[in-house]
Amino acid sequence: MSGIDRMNLNTSSQSDIDEIESLFNISVQPATLEVPQSVPPARKPSSPPTIPVSAPLLPPSSVSSSSQAFSTPAPAGPTLSTGFGGGPQYNTLTEPVWETLKRDLVRVSNNLKDVVLPNPYREDPGKALRDWDLWGPFFFIIFLALTLSYSASENKSKVFAVVFATLSAGAIVLTLNVQLLGGSIIFFQSLSVLGYCLFPLDVSALVCQVNNTKLFRSLVVLVALAWSSWAAYPFVSTAVPSSRKALAVYPVLLLYITVGFLVLANN
Amino acid sequence: MAGAYASLASEATGTVPAAVESDHVPHFQETFSQPGHGGQGGQGIPGPNQAWQGYFNVLSYRPYFNVDTVDVTDRIKDSLKVDVGFVEKTSQNPDMYGPFWICSTLVFVTASLGNLAAYLSYKSKTTGGHWHYDINLMSSAALVFYGYVGLVPLALYFLLRYLGVTSGVFQLWCLYGYSLFVFIPASFLSVVPWEIVRWLVVGAASFMSAIFVGGNIRTQIRTANDRWLAIVIGTVATHLALGLVLKFYFFTYFQHDAL
Repeated sequence: MSGIDRMNLNTSSQSDIDEIESLFNISVQPATLEVPQSVPPARKPSSPPTIPVSAPLLPPSSVSSSSQAFSTPAPAGPTLSTGFGGGPQYNTLTEPVWETLKRDLVRVSNNLKDVVLPNPYREDPGKALRDWDLWGPFFFIIFLALTLSYSASENKSKVFAVVFATLSAGAIVLTLNVQLLGGSIIFFQSLSVLGYCLFPLDVSALVCQVNNTKLFRSLVVLVALAWSSWAAYPFVSTAVPSSRKALAVYPVLLLYITVGFLVLANN
Repeated sequence: MAGAYASLASEATGTVPAAVESDHVPHFQETFSQPGHGGQGGQGIPGPNQAWQGYFNVLSYRPYFNVDTVDVTDRIKDSLKVDVGFVEKTSQNPDMYGPFWICSTLVFVTASLGNLAAYLSYKSKTTGGHWHYDINLMSSAALVFYGYVGLVPLALYFLLRYLGVTSGVFQLWCLYGYSLFVFIPASFLSVVPWEIVRWLVVGAASFMSAIFVGGNIRTQIRTANDRWLAIVIGTVATHLALGLVLKFYFFTYFQHDAL
């Protein structure tokens, strides 16, 4: 066996250890070990990359124990729920960067559609936003803070700081508020929903850059406020007992009105 | 009396058995010093078997949010009616929801109305000056209101404790929080551009608020200590000082033309 060997990767996203292990299996060929080529490809094949692989240096016993652990078959589909609101179980370390970005972008757009557009599962908190993530809210908060800071005529950095702090602390406080009132929601899922509901205000901030007249701005911000509140209302109100619904919903409205006013008053 | 002390000793916070035996105030010890027992869910902070970790657990604060919508609106109405029996009514179930969200609403209302009125005065003047949204109003409003409602009741609690008077810190926070509600309508009315109207409105609100706070504290500590009058006057004075600060910083809009 030569020292350096080249090997075509299986077009599925195998882990590096799988590759080394399959090399070892080819070189040693024990009959009892499972060859990892039984892992089915989880995504469509990209151009097969090649990597140089040196001869395996591991003693047989440790490799066999690790291969036992790795020979549990990876799932066929990419969307089994694990922690963090869902995600692929197989190792995604070697996939192309575009695949990773695309997966996250698709998830953000799906969640956005679920939260912001009318959908039949809105009233059911168990079904709404199962596959929550925090990238979407992060982008929306940063985008809103940047837009407001960019169009502010003075104290740009302070505007950014205040908007960012208000939104992020506000989302956390609102979630805690629901929990303290006796509601049962998942902390990060609630942060996710509240962040996605900022999307209409982002759009309004962008639109307000175009036109500076007060009437136009007021209309745009009003529409965006109504949309945001409508999007956030079912999630928050179904989480608490009905005698406290107003107590849970009012702070959400307060937060969005605060942000809406900042958008409106920016010049 | 011994039974009351046993129940007091079993709860961890907000209760200190009076250093000076005051056997002539049974109602005071029951109302002012009972910690919020709450209803369902959670024990008072921290529970007897939780030690200090209970302070960091969100759920251990649940008893202080055990209010329904009607409870909160009733308490707000009591504060507007300047009801000096407020602490008696809420001693079993002091809530933190009201104080916190009234403060937050006040922060937003004063900051945005301050900017709105500055904008209106800028538009009505024909001479120059450039108006921009003053974001500092929001951060200073947060500092003033959260600081006042957070720290003054705490200071009062420690002062009372030093003087040997039993009191409950959560009841005091509840009292001060609801007392600030009257400043919200006062802020809306202060957008009017006449100084005399603004002074009247803010003055009336400050007096109502101060009497609400002072009256409640007087009811509670009148029989517990000889220096109760000094304490009550002190609380009323600090509250009026808050009203003055509000008037000069937030409701004197013409000053912002210079920025």
